[in-house]
Amino acid sequence: MAESNTVVIIGGGFSGLTAAVEAAEAEKDVVIIEKNPYLGGRVAQLNKYFWKLCPPNCGLEIQFKRIKNNARVKIYTLAEVQDIKGEEGNLDVAVKVNPRYVNEKCVACDACAQACPSYRDNTFNFGMDKTKAAYLPFNQAFPMQYVIDRNSCAPNCKACADACKYNAIDLGMKSETINIKAGAVIMAMGWNPYDASKIDNLSFGKVQNVITNMMMERLSAPNGPTQGKIVRPSDGKEVKNIAFVQCAGSRDENHLPFCSYICCLASLKQAMYVREQYPDSKARIFYIDLRTPGLYEHRFLKKAMDDPDITLTKGKVAGINEDPETKDVIVEVEDIFSGSKTEMKFDMVVLATGMEPTTKTSQTIKNVSYTSDGFVDIGAKKGIYPVGTLKNPVDVVRSAQDATSAVIKGIQSLRRI
Amino acid sequence: MAEQVISPDLKFVEDVIASGGGDLKKCYQCATCTVVCNVTPDNKPFPRKEMIYAQWGMKDKLISNPDIWLCHQCSDCTAYCPRGAKPGEVLGAVRKLAIQHYSPTPLSKMVGDPKYLLILFAIPVLLFLSYIVPKGYLDVSAIPRGEDGGIVYSKFMPVFPQIDVTFGAAAFFAAVCFVLGIKRYWTDMSSGVGAQGNIADSIKTTISEILAHKRFEKCNVTKDRKIAHLLVFYAFVGLAITTTWAIVYLYGFHYDSPYPLYDPLKLLGNASALALLYGITLVTGNRLKNAEKAGKGSYFDWLFITVIYAIVVTGILSELLRLANIATLAYPTYFAHLVFVFFLFAYAPFSKMAHMVYRATAMVFARHTNRES
Repeated sequence: MAESNTVVIIGGGFSGLTAAVEAAEAEKDVVIIEKNPYLGGRVAQLNKYFWKLCPPNCGLEIQFKRIKNNARVKIYTLAEVQDIKGEEGNLDVAVKVNPRYVNEKCVACDACAQACPSYRDNTFNFGMDKTKAAYLPFNQAFPMQYVIDRNSCAPNCKACADACKYNAIDLGMKSETINIKAGAVIMAMGWNPYDASKIDNLSFGKVQNVITNMMMERLSAPNGPTQGKIVRPSDGKEVKNIAFVQCAGSRDENHLPFCSYICCLASLKQAMYVREQYPDSKARIFYIDLRTPGLYEHRFLKKAMDDPDITLTKGKVAGINEDPETKDVIVEVEDIFSGSKTEMKFDMVVLATGMEPTTKTSQTIKNVSYTSDGFVDIGAKKGIYPVGTLKNPVDVVRSAQDATSAVIKGIQSLRRI
Repeated sequence: MAEQVISPDLKFVEDVIASGGGDLKKCYQCATCTVVCNVTPDNKPFPRKEMIYAQWGMKDKLISNPDIWLCHQCSDCTAYCPRGAKPGEVLGAVRKLAIQHYSPTPLSKMVGDPKYLLILFAIPVLLFLSYIVPKGYLDVSAIPRGEDGGIVYSKFMPVFPQIDVTFGAAAFFAAVCFVLGIKRYWTDMSSGVGAQGNIADSIKTTISEILAHKRFEKCNVTKDRKIAHLLVFYAFVGLAITTTWAIVYLYGFHYDSPYPLYDPLKLLGNASALALLYGITLVTGNRLKNAEKAGKGSYFDWLFITVIYAIVVTGILSELLRLANIATLAYPTYFAHLVFVFFLFAYAPFSKMAHMVYRATAMVFARHTNRES
């Protein structure tokens, strides 16, 4: 038998959470290492799932509840794995835990944030609004605990600590490195949206009313920067005429050479957000090919096609400009079926940016090998198992399925030797 | 939708791939290329449709289309192509095949294929050797000198009949081939397309556009190309004037070369040669610099560039070696110069040199039919 009964799970997004509950409910000890101050990852940022159009928080709450009720699960937030040593069954995981400056006495009363004089860009909302330097990541955050962003604090300020009645704030907290013995490690570090500003002809960051699909999720979400009202960034105008630019960076050798799997369905879904919110609105999706992988997803496409105010236009947008007067967005495209190159004007344009594995930019775990696109090589090493979007772009359902199957491999690693 | 039967010409697909369009089949028809292209008309834009015509072997639709020549290979499409299909290079390959298709002799295939290179060079080499060998001029000391003892190339290779008859015949041959080719091309382009307006106006506006090199300004990735091509273009104009002028000197005034360096003809000739050297060096430099984004170019392109380079280098060296009176090097250099000039002129209808004629024709046609305004 292996020396350890512990599975370390790196990443507390939907894959990591699923792996954690599956392993813990099979009576293994589980440690989740999450780099954000909250669990839930990308799913926490979504407004609705395709194709059912139900809120993701529902599923997340169930997973959180299963974790809370299971004493075998230990969670480190603001933590990053620095190194893994050893072999399958006997791994030594070095983890740097960064200070939250808020301890578990926090009751999320908001007094610290109200007292705090400094602001920071709200990264959870992709910088579309600001929070105080003492903040709760979002209204349903788990753990329900505030965080202090020390980089955004005013010098020598301790207004938050003074305002806290529960002794929950400790501005002297230091980062620490801990070592965890584990029999298996599951890598579930997920993905980042591709940096749209790298696609220079699509003008993200230059034209104000061009946003990304993940920003659109936040913009549509009831707990987002506009409380779910879909309005454009430049002037807060209601978005009645919206365009979606598919393959913004994906299937492109100059950016992400692979298909990102989710973007077509995400844009169809987001077109429905707009159509539902404003019945007099129009949405147009510019695509190369519409891909709706899965059992039910083609019905979702059919649903969009049945809406006369959702137009699907074959032709990739390859130029975006701004009307300086109105701040409307002008897209340049060839409508392939009519064979004409045209310019069309929209209130707002959403770039369907793709998924880049987090291991594209950060490869601190040296025990596994990576592909040129930054994905983890499958089956690279016994005892360390990548899941979900670290292997290839997939949706939430397939990430969860993959996490479950990785748990079986992890349990085998605990018992094999 | 009306049913359309396509009979793919698979040989044509293979030829495009072999002629520099090697990444043709990577295209997935996203139309990024047509959008980033600044020189295409908006209606039925290129090069996306050309990419699928080429993939499907629709040779007739491609080569009889003015659009392949309206493309100036800016390579913006190639730089932004998400698949690395290099539409700019594919259209370059299609243009080569169009030149071959419309030129009426088997020479066209030979100029486009490196395995015939030696034969193509052997023709002028043997021709010029046949003039000098019987006279024993392989021995440099046997070549007569000028009155002042200097090198006089016309004593090595007489202007009449050797030079003028040879190049006169080459030029006539090229002109005939061009006329036949253009005639067939124009007929193909015109089938089913209604011409409008005055052809003279279309020709006039096309010429003024070419003289100003306006279209090159629309390129982004290869925007440095305008000055390079402009220099080469006007250098050739300068050299054409120089040649005509020399004919006037010789046959009108019986004034023989070599002309003194201060003679206006010599000044124009030398200035044109230097412009050509600088221009073609820029062309080469730009191509190497942009190779990663724009593609590395085909044999067809590089043969043309190399021949121009060889002409200008051997031309300038011939003059310098003559002035320095280094006979052992001067005569062979001049001989090489004649061979390269012959190569350029006699094979013009089959080489990339033909782009000049076919592109100008396509531009006139596009205006004449309101494809371009």
